[in-house]
Amino acid sequence: MRRPTTTALVLVASAALTLSACGRAETDGAGGEPQTGTDVAEGAADGTITVWAMGAEGEKLPDLAAQFEEENPGAKVNVTAIPWDAAHDKFTTAITANSLPDAAMVGTTWMGEFAGLDALDPLPENLEVDGFFEGAQGTTEVDGTSYGIPWYVETRLLYYRTDLAEQAGFDEAPTTWEGLKEMAKAMQTEAGAEYGIGLQAGGTGSWQTVMPFAWGEGAELTDGEGYTFDTPEMLEAVEYYQSFFDEGIANKSAPAQPTTEPDFVSGDVPMFISGPWMMSAVEEVGGEGFEDKYSVAKIPEGSAGSSSFVGGSDFVVFKSSQERDTAWKFVEFLADPEVQATWYDMSTDLPSVQSAWDTDALASDEKLSVFGEQLETAKAPPSYPTWEQVVASLDTELEKVTKTGADPAEALKTVQQQADSIGTGQ
Amino acid sequence: MLGSRKQQYWLYGVLAVALVAVIAPFVWMVLGSFKTTGELRQSPPTWWPETATLDNYTQLFARLDFGGYFTNSIVVATAVTAGNLVFCSMLGYALAMLDFRGKRALFVVVMTTLMIPGVVTFVPLFVLVANAGLVDTLPGLFLPFLVSPFGVFLMRQFILGLPRDLVDAGRVDGAGELRIYWRIILPLCGPALATLGILTFLGSWNNFLWPLVVAQTEQSYTLPVALALYSTGQNSTQYGLLLAGATVVVLPVLVVFMIFQRRFIEGIATTGIK
Repeated sequence: MRRPTTTALVLVASAALTLSACGRAETDGAGGEPQTGTDVAEGAADGTITVWAMGAEGEKLPDLAAQFEEENPGAKVNVTAIPWDAAHDKFTTAITANSLPDAAMVGTTWMGEFAGLDALDPLPENLEVDGFFEGAQGTTEVDGTSYGIPWYVETRLLYYRTDLAEQAGFDEAPTTWEGLKEMAKAMQTEAGAEYGIGLQAGGTGSWQTVMPFAWGEGAELTDGEGYTFDTPEMLEAVEYYQSFFDEGIANKSAPAQPTTEPDFVSGDVPMFISGPWMMSAVEEVGGEGFEDKYSVAKIPEGSAGSSSFVGGSDFVVFKSSQERDTAWKFVEFLADPEVQATWYDMSTDLPSVQSAWDTDALASDEKLSVFGEQLETAKAPPSYPTWEQVVASLDTELEKVTKTGADPAEALKTVQQQADSIGTGQ
Repeated sequence: MLGSRKQQYWLYGVLAVALVAVIAPFVWMVLGSFKTTGELRQSPPTWWPETATLDNYTQLFARLDFGGYFTNSIVVATAVTAGNLVFCSMLGYALAMLDFRGKRALFVVVMTTLMIPGVVTFVPLFVLVANAGLVDTLPGLFLPFLVSPFGVFLMRQFILGLPRDLVDAGRVDGAGELRIYWRIILPLCGPALATLGILTFLGSWNNFLWPLVVAQTEQSYTLPVALALYSTGQNSTQYGLLLAGATVVVLPVLVVFMIFQRRFIEGIATTGIK
């Protein structure tokens, strides 16, 4: 006689638990017409704002914020540094519980999702922020509406060992797809390299190395209505990428956490494609004098020119902010070319404002200025809320293509199907 | 006992291999914390630091407000452990030894919550804590975890194995339930409490996501959160700092284990009846 009661109770209890877990109200998406935020009040900023920033940026931002407080004596900026690990979870939880800071640094690929949750305040029209790299500016835009500024940027370049290239008979970096492959081959035959170039053999983030080639070929990842992966341009790039693995120029079975730096220093793998942080990393492993043994070059050109992936972080203001005007003024301050240059000195984060690159520290550095050049044509992926989900399937298919020699056309078809079934999320 | 001597050699051989497999990463961590970044990423890797350096440790203590994070971690882990030991054993006692209406149903509910993964209740729990105004406070870090379904289950199963005669004897002598629980049952629960204590302390000490989300300022960060903050970047990781931090973070857990592990091997509680 007890059993029915028990079962009923369990059912009720688990139902209640399930319900409470899914009890998030549907929010209006940011679809429709492009929006701008209401104007920010004139004059100096005042009030106290809380700002979240990740990792090293969070550690160093208080020093920059002190300068803002000096210029606006009534304002106070409390910076909380949060770890990159799981930062995304922290944001989404805070959005759900409405316990957000006033402003924050956010990853460029999170914009679509946060805007879709109706958490971000559109950029006010009267804010003086402009002159960003086009690709970087694109990361802040969701469905035509800009939700903040690109704070700092990074892009991917071709790293190569100049001394070994010379040995292989090349005194310049390659500028074409064929040139790159020839040079990588020569590194193996003439300069004793185990593999000509280190490329990621699929898996998380490998799209960031493939897309520069696809964009160079003129590929577009969206037609404004949905994802477009199954295009001739994409196919060319993926086929080209695959050929490095098929011909044994790149390592099919490279570990997920590759030993890029030591391999680069030893000359086993004298070329790879990566971002600016790799400069200090290889120099640290290479020791003194290593900075003269390598160089960086723009991604070799496809039929539409040279392109690359633009990353970095954006800075946004949340709708829930009580000190909205002050928060936006702080964002305006961060986008100032001079402040951007100061921030480079503090953090070595590359400025997102083009004119900040004219300062000595950046313009005189040979390697850094190549990053500056590449940034002019570098692109960002579409800012749909589902992007991270969709691109995971591209990464998986790329792994099949590189490791097992799967047909690139089939792979892209699969990605397209999955992208279509997931949708843009807008 | 274990058959022939040959079999014993075999057994020790297997155990030795297993021991090396378990200890090696640990040794690597400790030795690695004295290496330079260049050496850590060197290929082939070295076991013994070629140029031993204390840089990682100086950085760890200079850049991090180590004392503050350490205190937070200790307070949270101790509170959670104490709460679990008291409340789980209380509930376990009630479910095992008392008779009351709906006892069976209550137990099934506890078991049901055990089946629900933490990620599902994570956001609702956070909303509750936020509405209670406990965000960014230490109580917010430990209050939701003072009792765990697993702990209740563990204690109930253990107490079920204790002789009921002990409880009856207590009742005959006029002891109340609280007194029976406290003076008779709890002293016999040593091994179960030790197990629960170690598991809970370890879980709370290593917990990353909850403190990350609830702590909104660095003042209430715990060690794992602080460590992740300083060692992991957007595109790179400072392995030296991470290893040094991990070495220091592991020490308190070792101490707790040393304290409790003797109780693991202590006699079975049922020897209370002769």
